[in-house]
Amino acid sequence: MMGLGIAASLAYGWYLAPNQKVNIQPDNLRIDYKSDVVLMVAEAYHADHNLASAITRISLLGNTQPVDTIQKAILFAEQQGYSDLDLQMMRELLAAVQELTPLITTPIP
Amino acid sequence: MNQSRGSLYLLTGFLLGLGIGLIYSLVIQPVRYTDIAPAMLDPAAKDRYRALIAIAYNADRDLVRARARLALLKDDDPYRSLAEQAQRWLAEGKPFEESRALGLLAISLAQAQATILAPPTSIINSPPKTQSATQASEINPIEITVTPKLTSQLTLTGSEYPNPSQELLSSPSPQVTPTAPLHFQLSKRDSVCDPTIGQNLIQVYTWDATGAELSGVEFIINWQGGENHFFTGLKPEKGKGYADFTMTPGILYTLRLASGGEPVMDLSSPSCTTASGEKYWGILVLEFSPP
Repeated sequence: MMGLGIAASLAYGWYLAPNQKVNIQPDNLRIDYKSDVVLMVAEAYHADHNLASAITRISLLGNTQPVDTIQKAILFAEQQGYSDLDLQMMRELLAAVQELTPLITTPIP
Repeated sequence: MNQSRGSLYLLTGFLLGLGIGLIYSLVIQPVRYTDIAPAMLDPAAKDRYRALIAIAYNADRDLVRARARLALLKDDDPYRSLAEQAQRWLAEGKPFEESRALGLLAISLAQAQATILAPPTSIINSPPKTQSATQASEINPIEITVTPKLTSQLTLTGSEYPNPSQELLSSPSPQVTPTAPLHFQLSKRDSVCDPTIGQNLIQVYTWDATGAELSGVEFIINWQGGENHFFTGLKPEKGKGYADFTMTPGILYTLRLASGGEPVMDLSSPSCTTASGEKYWGILVLEFSPP
């Protein structure tokens, strides 16, 4: 009977409970969607050059360093063959964020 | 006696198992969501994602790409979701730029939809009836407009890794039929006393020359020390040409169209009285149509 109880509660915890309302955040998005989020931020930054807003928007993707997030997105975009214009905008955003946070990206000798 | 004790042991075992299983599946090893799609985000995160789509659209004006991105959220009615969020964010005091971007994208979607649904306006320029259907479809701008949008949406949602650059940019830019700047004038101004409304509203209605409600008309309202912008069409449940603004009693407002025209001055909450002599504030109804 103990085994039956364990099986029932595992079924609940792993299959039934997740179907109920849970807080799923954007840092759990798949890499392609994350890259598109970075691209959206880059498009906005390309138009308004508001770096503070861009960094705030990138933070939507979690607490990792914005530079890391953007670099991963660019890597994915290059592998997937995003257009030159999109890549250019993403690199423009990366350069601006790197400029703001040189200590994070510059290796310490 | 022994039989009842045996049942008790079984029940205890079951409950013990249940407890162990619950602790394991909910606390020690709970389900973790990874590699999810935007449609699975919680409502607040979806709002932020939707706002980002609108901001990106505001930057590049690529409606095909914006529609494809919105499709990832799997909203029942993207236009309504955008419009409602724009209103909600305005009311909640979220950044005006983001609320505005949401509103603009909602309006662009509505206008594109209206362009698709509208009867061909190119009747005058349409090819003679003797031309083949294929030739006609090459000339008819509406058919050219619709196809790439649908294609791009299907391609995006069907691929394992949606690549917005290749799949969306390779398709032609949206061909929203440009509309000539419209000129409006105030055609009706009414004070309405209705105690059931409960808000001191300026209700605005806009119509085009054919009498159809017109969304996306921007109004600017000024009062001493303040200014606000609002658009028609962001409360679709009240009509595409509808917009409203909540007044503060005792303050005078001036309303004008962002596209120009005569300002409507000295707007204030009308004072009303119920049958029992109780006072309350009414609403102003303003109607705008082409001269």
